[in-house]
Amino acid sequence: MTATTKIIRKPARTLADQSYLLEVVKGLGVTLKHFFKGTAQLVSGNRPDPVKEPYAEGVATIEYPDEKRPYARRWRGVHRLTHREDGSPRCVACLCCSTACPAQCIYIKPAEYPLDDARRGYERYPEEFVIDELRCIFCGFCVEACPCDAIRMDTGLHMTALDNRASFIFDKAMLMSFPSQDNTFLSENPRHEPGDESHPGIDRVRGGH
Amino acid sequence: MPTFKLDDREIPFEKGETIIAAAYRQGVEIPHYCWHPGLSVAANCRMCLVEIEPAAGQRAMMLDILKWDAEKNDYVVDRKPKLQPACQIAASDGMVVRSESSANVKQARAHVQEFLLVNHPVDCPICDQAGECKLQDYWMTQQRTFKRMRDEPVHKPKAQPFGEKIVYDAERCITCTRCIRFCDEVAGDHMLDLRERGNKNEVVLAPGRALEGDYTLMTEHVCPVGALTSSHFRFRARVWTLKEVPSICTGCATGCNTWLDYDPREQKVYRLRPRDNEKVNKFWMCDDGMMSYQHVHENRVKGARTGRGSSEALGVDEAVSRAAELFKKAGKGKVAVVLSAQMSTEDNLVAVELGRQFGASFYLSAKAPWRADKILRNADQNPNRAGATAAAMGAAVGSLRDLMATAGEGKLAAALVLGSDSDVSDAELSAMGRIADVVVLAANEGPLTRSATLVIPVASVAEADGSFVNAKGLAQGFKRGLQLQPEGAPGWQRVAEIGRAMGLDLAYKKFKEVRAALTVKVPTASPDAPAASAAGAGTESHA
Amino acid sequence: MLFWIQAFVKIALIVGVLVNMAAILLWVERKQSAMMQDRVGPNRAAIAVFGKRFRLAGLVHSIADGIKMVWKEDWEPKTGDKLLYRLAPIVALVPPLCLFAVIPFGPTLYIDHAREMFSPAWATEATARTVPLQITNLDVGVLFIFAVAGAGIIGSALAGWASDNKFSLMGGLRAASQMVSYEVAMGLSLVGAFMIYQTVRLDEMVAWQQEHTWGIFVQPLGFVLFAVSAIAETKRVPFDVPEGESELVAGYFTEYAGLKFGMFASGELVEVCTSSAILVTIFLGGWHMPFFTDRGLEFIFRGASAVSPEVAAQFVASHTMTPGFDASQGVTTASLLQHCANAFASVNGSFVWHWPHWAVVVVGLGNFVLKAAFLIFMQLQIRWTLPRFRYDQIMKLGWQMLLPAALVNVLVTGTAILFFNGPSGG
Repeated sequence: MTATTKIIRKPARTLADQSYLLEVVKGLGVTLKHFFKGTAQLVSGNRPDPVKEPYAEGVATIEYPDEKRPYARRWRGVHRLTHREDGSPRCVACLCCSTACPAQCIYIKPAEYPLDDARRGYERYPEEFVIDELRCIFCGFCVEACPCDAIRMDTGLHMTALDNRASFIFDKAMLMSFPSQDNTFLSENPRHEPGDESHPGIDRVRGGH
Repeated sequence: MPTFKLDDREIPFEKGETIIAAAYRQGVEIPHYCWHPGLSVAANCRMCLVEIEPAAGQRAMMLDILKWDAEKNDYVVDRKPKLQPACQIAASDGMVVRSESSANVKQARAHVQEFLLVNHPVDCPICDQAGECKLQDYWMTQQRTFKRMRDEPVHKPKAQPFGEKIVYDAERCITCTRCIRFCDEVAGDHMLDLRERGNKNEVVLAPGRALEGDYTLMTEHVCPVGALTSSHFRFRARVWTLKEVPSICTGCATGCNTWLDYDPREQKVYRLRPRDNEKVNKFWMCDDGMMSYQHVHENRVKGARTGRGSSEALGVDEAVSRAAELFKKAGKGKVAVVLSAQMSTEDNLVAVELGRQFGASFYLSAKAPWRADKILRNADQNPNRAGATAAAMGAAVGSLRDLMATAGEGKLAAALVLGSDSDVSDAELSAMGRIADVVVLAANEGPLTRSATLVIPVASVAEADGSFVNAKGLAQGFKRGLQLQPEGAPGWQRVAEIGRAMGLDLAYKKFKEVRAALTVKVPTASPDAPAASAAGAGTESHA
Repeated sequence: MLFWIQAFVKIALIVGVLVNMAAILLWVERKQSAMMQDRVGPNRAAIAVFGKRFRLAGLVHSIADGIKMVWKEDWEPKTGDKLLYRLAPIVALVPPLCLFAVIPFGPTLYIDHAREMFSPAWATEATARTVPLQITNLDVGVLFIFAVAGAGIIGSALAGWASDNKFSLMGGLRAASQMVSYEVAMGLSLVGAFMIYQTVRLDEMVAWQQEHTWGIFVQPLGFVLFAVSAIAETKRVPFDVPEGESELVAGYFTEYAGLKFGMFASGELVEVCTSSAILVTIFLGGWHMPFFTDRGLEFIFRGASAVSPEVAAQFVASHTMTPGFDASQGVTTASLLQHCANAFASVNGSFVWHWPHWAVVVVGLGNFVLKAAFLIFMQLQIRWTLPRFRYDQIMKLGWQMLLPAALVNVLVTGTAILFFNGPSGG
C-alpha cells in the first residue's frame, strides 16, 4: 500500500493582501456597515426583539433586568418545596436529596407525626429543611433524587445577590414561599394522601377478603 | 471432618450442622431472612431454598408442575425438582447441594422475593432500614423485576410503639419471627407473638405486655427488614452516610464487641451495633450497652478549667504546665495517682509510669456496680477494671474509698485523677477537699470533676485508640472513629505531657509506642500480645 | 491688555474643550464600538432629577467614570520613584494639549467688522481687536508639533520606569521605541507637504490650500503615511503594544490608579483629537471647504455657461452688494431663501452667497470641527476594526515600509515640482 499525499498549498497572498491597506479599507467597510445599521436601529428604536428574534441581523443585546429571555421549563432556578393540598410540605424528610447533593448544602431534620395523626407511619416530615444556596451548585440532583416530587427547581428565580452569607441560608418557610413558574405551590404529580377517604385500600377495618 | 459440596465448593461441617450454618462458617452466604446463626431454625421465609441432588441410586424428589409454553400459548405439564430449605436440612457427608448453580433455585428465590414484596409498602425513602435492608439487597441480587400486582396492598398497623424503645411497622414486616425467637431464646421472655395468618399475619405484643427488659433493642437488630425500628435512631440518620469502626462497649466489664456507627461529616456517633464475637457477646448486646454511645456527646468536659468554687477556663497547654508545677510543689511521696476503670489500659499505663517515677500511691476510680444478669450484663459497670489493675504492674491499687481514708488523714498534697466516676457517696467524696490540688483528666463531667481543682479534657472512647481488659481477662482493642474535639487529646498523651513537664521520663508521642510498651510490660493486658490476639477479635456483624 | 485677554480666552477654550472632549470621546468610543459590534453600549448610568432618571444615551457613564476616578484609592507602588511616578501622567497629558497652540481652527476674526461683509483691507488694520483663531502663530509651526509630540514619549517612559514593575518597564520601553520609530516616518511624511506649501507655518498651509487645493490631493501618500504614524503615536489599537493587555497586564500604566490613570487615558484621547486636528490642518484644508471664501459661498459653474474667470470675478464683485440683502438685519431664514432665489434667477449657472463676516468665521470654525470630528470618528473606527500588531510587525512597518515610502514621497514630490515649475520654481 502506497501512501497517497495531497499537497495543500498555502493560499498565495496577492499584492493587495500584502499591502494591507486595501484589506484595512474592506474591514472598515464591514464595521462601518454595522455601525450605521446599528445606529439607525437604535435611533429609530426599530430593532429586532433580541428575545424573540435572537438570530435577526442587528443589535442583539438583551438588556437583562428590563428584558428577560423566557426560561425553558426545565431550567433550574432556586429550589422550592411543593405543598400538599392542605399547605403542608410534601417532603417526607427521607434525606435522599441531601444524600444525592454533591455540594452537601441540604440539611434536613426529620420528625415524626404524633401517634393520633392519620399520616403517622406513612410519612415523616421535615422539622427543619435548610438549603445553603451559596453552596448549591444547581445541579438538580436533589430534584432527581426526590421520590415525592417535594423539591423542585421550577421557580424560574435566579439566586439573588444578597449582601451577607446568612441571607443565603434558605429555611423551610422560605423554600415553601416560592411558587413555580406556573404560579402554583403544588406539584404536577398528585398522589393519594394517607388517611384520605379517597385512599383506596384494604385494611383491618375496611374491606378484607 | 465430613464435607458436602455446595456448588463448586467443598464445605466441611460438624455432625448435625445445617447446610446454611456450615456455609456461613465458611463465609458462603445462602440468601435468607428468618435464619440467624444465634437463633433456632424457623424455616418460614423460604428464601434459602436449595436443590439437593439425590444420593446415588435414589430417585430425585420431583414435583409435577404446569409450565407456560409460549409456542403453544398454553400451559404444559412438566416436572421440576423439589427444593429444600438449607436452614433446616442437616448436612451429610458427600451431599451435593446446588445453590447459585441451579436455575430452579434462582427462580424460586426470585419468586419468594416477589411474594414477600407483594404487600410491602416500598416506602424505602422514609424507612430507617434502607441501605441495610435484606429486602433491598436481595431485590438487587435475586429479583430485579417490578411489582406485578396492581391491587392496593394490604394495610396493617404502622408505627406502633412496642415499648419505649421499639416502633413496629406491620406493613414492612415479613413475619420471619426472628424477634419473637430472640425474645424467647435469648432474652427468655415471651413478649412477642404472631397473630392472624396469610397476608394479615403480624407480630403483636403479648396481651398486657410492652416490649421491656434489657434486651429490647436486639429485636430491632435482628429484624432483617424495617419492621422494627429503634426510637433513638429513628429518622435521625441514613445508614449510608454512616461510617463504622470496631469498638468495645463501655457499659460493663463484659466488653461486648461493637461497631461504632458515626457520621464523619457531623462528627457525631449515631448508634452502637453488636459485633459478632463467639467468645464474648456472640451476636448480642444489652440495651444499656447499645445506648452507651450517648456518653460520647453528653456531658463532656469542654475545655481545661480550674475547679472547686472558681471555674476559670484556661488553655490546655497552660493547664498541663500548671498541673506539672502543682505536682512538683507537692513533692515526691505526697502525690496520689488515681487510675480509671473507665479509661483504656494505655491511659492507665502511662499514669502508672508517671506515678512510679514520682513515688506516688495508686488508687482506682470506678463506677458503682449495677444490675447483672446471666446473659451478658456483668455486675461491674466498668469496662476496664482488670486492665487498670494490671497496668499497675503489681503495685497496690487502692479503691476510691481507700483514697478518701488516706486523704482524710491529710497525708496527700496532690492527686492526679483519671476519669470522673466515683463508686463512693458524695458525702465520702468530700474528703477530696483535704487534698490541696486535685488534677482530673476526664472525658465526661462526673463526681470527681466536681471535686477537682484543675480539670483537663481528654478523648472519649470514640475519639482515641485503646484497649480494655474484660472481666474474663480478655484484652480487646478499639479504634478511633471521631476526630479529637478542640483541645482534646487521648488521656495517655496528656499524662505524658504532664510527666514531661515535671521532668520525668515519659517519652510517649504516638499511640503505637504506648501499645508496644504495654505489650512488653503487661502482655496479658495487651490485645497485640500473641496470646490475646489468638483469643479472637470480633468479626462481621450478622444482621 | 486685549491681547492677553483673547489669548487667555482662547487657551481656556481650547483646553476646556479638549479635556471635555476626552470625556465625550470616552462615550463616543464606547457607543461607537457597541454599534459596530451589534451591541447597545453603555446605557445604565443615569442622573436622577426630581425622581426622573435621565440616561442621556450613556453619556452619564463618562461622568460616573470621572467621579469614580477621583474617589478611587490613590495607590502608589512602594518601591517606585515617587517623584517621577507622579510626574509621568502630567508629562503624558500636557504635550497633546500644548499641540493645539499652533493649530489654526478658523479664519481670523475682526471683531470691529463682524457684521459687515469681508474686505481684504481689514487685514492691514493692525488693531488689537483682530483675533486670529489660533493661540499662537509660530514661525516654526509644524516643527513645534514634532517637538512637543515627541515629548509625549517621556510620560510613558517615565511611568514605565517609575512604577518599579517589570510589566510597566516593558510597556515604557515599547512605548519609547515605538514612538521614536514612528516619529521619523512622521517627520519625513510631511517633508513633501512642506516642499509644496513652501512653509512650515500652519496658517500659511491653510491659506495655500484655500488658494489651490487640499493637501490630500497633492500629497495622497504623505497623508496616508502621516495618518498611520499619527495613529501609532497615539499608542492605540492596532499600535497598542505598550499597553498590551495580553502580555503586559496594562503596560506602562499598570501601577496607576484613580485620576493618575485617568490622565493617561484622557491623554490618549486628547492625542486622538490633536492628531485629527493636525491632519485636518495640513491635508484637509483646515477650516476651508470647497467654494468657501472669506466672503461666503461662491459657486461658479464654468462648464455650464462658459463663464470666463474674469466674468465670474466681476459677477462676484457685483453680488457682494446684492439688493435685498441688508446685512445689518442679520441673516434670517426668509431673507436667505429670498436671496438664494435672487441669486439663482439672476445668474447663468453661477451661485454666489455672501455672508457677514461673523457667519463666515462661524462656518469656518464649523468646517474645522466637522472635519476633525470625522477624522476622530475614523480613528475610532480603525481602532475597533483592526487587530493589534505584533511588536516586530510594528517595527517592520515603521522602519521598512513607512520610512522608505516617506523618502520615496519626498523624491517624487521634488521631481514633480521640478517638472512643473522648472529649476527655478518654488
